[in-house]
Amino acid sequence: MEPVTVYSQYAWLIPVFPLVSFIVLTAFGRGMRSAGMLIGMLGSLAALVLSVLVLLERMTNGDSPEYNYSFDWITIGDFQLNAGYDVTNLSALMLFVVSVVAFLVNLYSAGYLKEDERITVFFGYVALFTFSMLGLVLSDNLLTLYMFWELVGVCSFLLVGFWYTKPEARAAAKKAFIVTRVGDVGLLIAVLLLFWYMPEHDLSFAAIENVFGQTGTIAQGITTLIAILIFVGAAGKSGQFPLHVWLPDAMEGPTPISALIHAATMVAAGVFLVARTYSIFEASQAAMDTVAYVGAFTALFAATIGLVQNDIKRILAYSTVSQLGYMMLALGVGSLSGGIFHLFTHAFFKALLFLGAGSVIHAVHTQNIHEMGGLGRQMKITAWTFGIGALALTGIPPFSGFWSKDAILAVALDKNPFLFAVGILTAFFTALYMARLYFLVFAGKSGAAGKAHESPAVMTIPLVVLAAFAALSGFVELPWAGMGRLGAWLTGEEAAHSGSGLVLVVSTAIGLLGIYLGWLIYVKGAIPRDFISSRAPWLVRLLERKYYIDELYHAVFTVGLRASGRALDAFDTYIVGGAVRLISGAAVWAGRAGTRMQNGQVQTYGLWTVIGLLALILAIAGRRFW
Amino acid sequence: MFNVELTGELVAFFVLAAIMISGAVLMLTLTKVVHMVASLAAVFLGLAGMFVLLEAEFVAFVQVLIYAGAVSILMIFGIMMTKHEAVQEEPVRPVQEIVSAIGALCLFGIMFYAIRLTAFPAPSAPVTTGEDNTMEIGKLLFTQYVIPFELVSVLLTVAFIGAIVLAKKEAE
Amino acid sequence: MLPSYLTMAAILFCIGLYGALTKRNAVIVLISVELMLNAVNLNLVAFSKYGVVPSLTGQIFSLFTISVAAAEVAVGIAILIALFRARGTINVDEYDEMRR
Repeated sequence: MEPVTVYSQYAWLIPVFPLVSFIVLTAFGRGMRSAGMLIGMLGSLAALVLSVLVLLERMTNGDSPEYNYSFDWITIGDFQLNAGYDVTNLSALMLFVVSVVAFLVNLYSAGYLKEDERITVFFGYVALFTFSMLGLVLSDNLLTLYMFWELVGVCSFLLVGFWYTKPEARAAAKKAFIVTRVGDVGLLIAVLLLFWYMPEHDLSFAAIENVFGQTGTIAQGITTLIAILIFVGAAGKSGQFPLHVWLPDAMEGPTPISALIHAATMVAAGVFLVARTYSIFEASQAAMDTVAYVGAFTALFAATIGLVQNDIKRILAYSTVSQLGYMMLALGVGSLSGGIFHLFTHAFFKALLFLGAGSVIHAVHTQNIHEMGGLGRQMKITAWTFGIGALALTGIPPFSGFWSKDAILAVALDKNPFLFAVGILTAFFTALYMARLYFLVFAGKSGAAGKAHESPAVMTIPLVVLAAFAALSGFVELPWAGMGRLGAWLTGEEAAHSGSGLVLVVSTAIGLLGIYLGWLIYVKGAIPRDFISSRAPWLVRLLERKYYIDELYHAVFTVGLRASGRALDAFDTYIVGGAVRLISGAAVWAGRAGTRMQNGQVQTYGLWTVIGLLALILAIAGRRFW
Repeated sequence: MFNVELTGELVAFFVLAAIMISGAVLMLTLTKVVHMVASLAAVFLGLAGMFVLLEAEFVAFVQVLIYAGAVSILMIFGIMMTKHEAVQEEPVRPVQEIVSAIGALCLFGIMFYAIRLTAFPAPSAPVTTGEDNTMEIGKLLFTQYVIPFELVSVLLTVAFIGAIVLAKKEAE
Repeated sequence: MLPSYLTMAAILFCIGLYGALTKRNAVIVLISVELMLNAVNLNLVAFSKYGVVPSLTGQIFSLFTISVAAAEVAVGIAILIALFRARGTINVDEYDEMRR
């Protein structure tokens, strides 16, 4: 069947629009304000329109072959490196998600950062990020993906450190860059290994799928190694344990950035990468198990930390880490469609939650949830949309998060009941911390923040749009036969939803239980708030200090590296520098000696002549004597 | 050296050598300049004696005349005209002295070693200096070496004029 | 006997060398140079008697040396006197114009 390529062949234009606006903003942006915002928005709007058209084309022709265009990029000898772009169902979906969130965040930032002096720079960075992320999604081979992968890392660095006058922002930007770099090294090694082992050195995803789809082409050990290394890269970007430490700190960046990069798109790139190279993982059970267990552990681990944090954005950040763990868990237990489905819904409701949090912060100028309260009356739209996002995250039907979480839990129950239990426990904690967050911020009496007011329309419209997505996007895949449209579209076959009746009931019950418990504690006061902290203070402190992971890393890596740095510095100073000083000292000494020789006194010259004569005699005649 | 029989020449040589070495060493160690020149004269006279031992009577005569006479007197004049207190000051350059001493000793060691090592063949022809040494030298100087002889006389004249010009007080 | 004379000359030469290198008074330096020249004369005369081919040439050479040395002393003393007038000293270590 001929691929339908009316719009797909122009898919390369999608990243070009934001790139153009980035270039324009960087070149001419100085002094622009509203014009700069307009350029940024136009770029992302154009990308959005084309992405929607591509997505519609792929949806109506879901089973048509994928569109691929590639050209010779580099020719070295008889080796050819191709670059190009792929329009698959997965990339079309990602294009849509990225450009929707990017456009809405652009719109929202126009209100949120209206007062900021460097707003055009901000829009330029966002445009660059959008370009990189769209390019990452469209790449048809691992090498170009890696380049865009690093580009989004740079953009993340730039945007986390956007308010670079704050020392915390600078530190967070560096931390984000360096920690993700650790993961990127894994990915780079994986790319090199693939380059080495792939026939014809072909790094395109199509070739990878062909090679790993059939067993025996590449040895099992190497397959596992490559898969694990790719997962290390994905863990760095997606904030999986133990490389999750940068993501909560990255909340020092502007809130729209947290929504765009650190909730919806870039952190999902790790999940996308695993999904894109899924054939490698499928070829190795060990790698699949690693992904599943790391994902499950991260989900539970981050959720427990989220229970006790006081910064509204940090709670959401740990929630993001936790939900990314869910996605990895889904991929690990073999549910590609479940992982991507959760990525899809999570992008909307987490972006919604972050933008809602931004709206709240914009109103009360604090991030501490204990200083808020009663905002529900003053900020109706924010409260409602945030509530929808929270319910979606908690997994209450019929909101989107329920369906995607259910898809994951159902497969987990089928494959590995232990992971299912972890998932259910995480869901309970998720419900609890979201209830705590929501009730503390929006319910109860007005807090210390005093009078707040609703944000301007340019900020509430994205909230409403995202709330609509968060509420409804779950319906693309329902756990009944014939209703798994997304899974069928993505993978070609409908995902099995075995035992899903039980899962539906259990997960809903758990979610409601968590919310009820939160309501008891934080609204009704039936259970005192210090119920646990008074009985087990060590537990609360352990959670508040995030399991001392940062301190551990500091002790192990920072201190260790600093000590080795000092040792190397000492080596440099005393050994290398000493040798240099010795040589220069010898030269100076020889110069001084030469100066003493040339003191202008005839007798000294005569003495040197005698010494020279003796040396000559010894050199010439000396051989004869011994 | 020591298996040579004790001849009159040998005894005379050692006496003269003792005079010369002690004169030279004294010359370097004494502080009063006049004493130094006196010990220097002793060295020159000892050397003249050695020339006699070597059957070079004319050279010995010239040695006494020029060195023991003219040069010594010239040195005394030089000292008188430059340094009135005529006392050598204490040395102030120990490094220079020590290194020079070591250098001179090493040089002497090398030369002595070379002299001891060399086997000097016996003279092939009988000594032809003859009884009248002065006449033979005169003959040679005016025949074979007449050009160097005349050149030396020119050199002496030039040195004589040059010395006068240099030492003369600047004309007003 | 030849090695004895040669050794004697070497001793004389080295004493002269030491004096020429260490004495500060320029006149003494000049005297030391004369000692070295005398050592050479002794060698020449000794070889003229005990050399492989004894001849008067050695003695004639020593005569030339003596006359050249006499000329040298005359000019040297004259230079010293002129220097003393100009600089007020005959200490060799204060003549360091070569450094400039």
